[in-house]
Amino acid sequence: MPEKVYVGPYRPQLVEPERFELLVEGNRIIDAKIELGYMHRGIEKLFTTKTYMQNLALAERICGICSGIHTLCYAQTVEKLMNIEVPERAKYLRCVYMELERLHSHYLWFGILAHSLDEHKAFLKIMVERERVQDLLEYLTGNRMNYLINTIGGVRRDITPEKAEKIRRFLNGSKPLSDYIMELLNDNGGFTRKTKGVGVLPREKALEVGAVGPTLRGSGIASDIRKDDPYAAYGELDFEVIVENDGDVRAKALVRARETYESMKIIEQALDNLPSGEIVAERKEPKIGEEFGRTEAPRGELVYYIRSNGTNIPERVKVRTPSFANNFAILEMLRGETLENARVIIESIDPCFACTDRVTVVDAKTGERNCMCLK
Amino acid sequence: MGKISVYRFLSAGCNGCDVQVLECLVPRYRLAELNVEVVSNPEEANVLFLTGGVNIKGREELIKVYEKINPPKIVIAVGNCALTKEIFDKGYPMVGPPDQIVPVNFYVPGCPPRPQAIVKAVVQILGAKLEDKEDYWATPEGFRGKHEFDRDKCIGCGACAQVCSSDAIDVIDEGEKRVVRINYGHCSFCAFCQDECPTQAIRLTREYHLLTNNRGTAYIMNDVDLLECASCGAFFFPQPQIDWALKRIIEEKVPKYLEFKDEILDAMKLCLKCRREIMNMKKAKKILAELSAKARGS
Ligand code: SF4
Ligand code: SF4
Repeated sequence: MPEKVYVGPYRPQLVEPERFELLVEGNRIIDAKIELGYMHRGIEKLFTTKTYMQNLALAERICGICSGIHTLCYAQTVEKLMNIEVPERAKYLRCVYMELERLHSHYLWFGILAHSLDEHKAFLKIMVERERVQDLLEYLTGNRMNYLINTIGGVRRDITPEKAEKIRRFLNGSKPLSDYIMELLNDNGGFTRKTKGVGVLPREKALEVGAVGPTLRGSGIASDIRKDDPYAAYGELDFEVIVENDGDVRAKALVRARETYESMKIIEQALDNLPSGEIVAERKEPKIGEEFGRTEAPRGELVYYIRSNGTNIPERVKVRTPSFANNFAILEMLRGETLENARVIIESIDPCFACTDRVTVVDAKTGERNCMCLK
Repeated sequence: MGKISVYRFLSAGCNGCDVQVLECLVPRYRLAELNVEVVSNPEEANVLFLTGGVNIKGREELIKVYEKINPPKIVIAVGNCALTKEIFDKGYPMVGPPDQIVPVNFYVPGCPPRPQAIVKAVVQILGAKLEDKEDYWATPEGFRGKHEFDRDKCIGCGACAQVCSSDAIDVIDEGEKRVVRINYGHCSFCAFCQDECPTQAIRLTREYHLLTNNRGTAYIMNDVDLLECASCGAFFFPQPQIDWALKRIIEEKVPKYLEFKDEILDAMKLCLKCRREIMNMKKAKKILAELSAKARGS
């Protein structure tokens, strides 16, 4: 007789509140559902009560961890609506800031992964080293999180040669942390043992459920908006799209670990080739119409849709966050696994429920509340 | 107080604050030196850290969690969402801030507060001591912390309130004064107010230790004199803003108006209501017509 097991909503292993309902038989998970809503704040409605500028601060607070990429995606979409040409220098600076954010986000994920694998030593080491990214971001932008560095038409703070020097020093100091993480994933310690072969998401399934970002790339599909639909200065920078084929938790971890090196490469290049000039262009009136924008967030493809009626307040803003797309993958990955592995599988997509918590869909016929929760 | 065991609760915030609390565990922040640990069950905790503004769904969970916390049951709201719901204030599912649901003892403003701010708050609440280590509390230049008013520069125009991303600035006309109040407990520290202030009267400082036990006091304010209507005597417009506008228009932009400064000032001294009245309207029109004729002639 299958029994129901609940994980969450307020359980320590999960950084954020959400509840998983697992249907378990023996020790095997046969079905899984997610219940969200603990983070729902009605953001899409709030978007239509604030001006385009004010909404920058709101977009950033959809998720505090990948806050920068939200403002960038939002700003780029608004720039299309306002027909603004962003200065070249700003485009390069955006790449620098966003890759720093990817580093902090990926390192945080490794910290949390270590935590959920009960590797306390690794957890501390990663979190301690990660502080350096946070310090740097605070130094560059004025806040540790929610840095509000992107604005409509460019960026708000420049990188002086002195700051660039500091970033370079930081990068040199960061490589050892990435090396350490690579080592953890390649020796035969707890990290490898507890993640190899766990929560496999086969290539076809990954496509079918519409996974994005490292979750998708861990299943052997090279998809990265920075390459597929280049924005900011990514089209002019040389970097590799990291792909792993195993589809298990370790593959997703490896993708992220190797990506940290690519991020460093991107930052170095952007600093070396930084064009001179303005960092922000003038704002204009938005046209009447709609625009669509996408970027590669640390967790995968992030999509903004904005409809304008020509006033200074948007008529509709729709956000599709990567974690929303990846939630369906969690359910796939959980089925057939043992209960002990549930925690690390859930963590493996780097779920960000602040991003995802939007709407609960109730099946009208059966009255069944389904797991489809959007931000 | 013996061991402090902290349980974290988050509902309807952006995550930022929760991550900051988590980061406090890093040895660098020395929470452990204060005999503080973070526990994973409310039953084991005697201190509750709240982040986020709490929505309908989080409400019941919060009540359940609160009941399980052991005495002395100190509740600390971390971050502006937990003080005032901040930018999510008008969101339809929001039922917080948490002190509307459970008693809260202390508030740590910030968006998010730095880990150092949280540690310092714990130090102050416990009356403990943390040996000062070099640079531990330091902020980098350009850090966006609590605001500072330059009282001489502020002209009371309210531009800051217009651009504020989080409805954190109130502009209130009371009698002969206009009060501009920045509620930093409601603020997202976006610095739009600093950017847009026409006279650079607002500056975000590097001050970030903002612990309070009354969130109603998390504001700074400034007041300016209002101008009295020459006709009906009502107070209607900030005097310094008129001075500023006159200076800008006449002295900097169109110097040839300079000699009619007093007449222009007279025309500006009528409140909106009086201007709408026909008599005054005619008078005002006449003054303006004379002015422009003179200006053209000269
Ligand atoms: S106060 Fe700011 S950082 Fe904290 S949860 Fe709210 S929006 Fe996020
Ligand atoms: S920094 Fe100024 S504009 Fe921004 S939220 Fe705070 S008070 Fe409002």
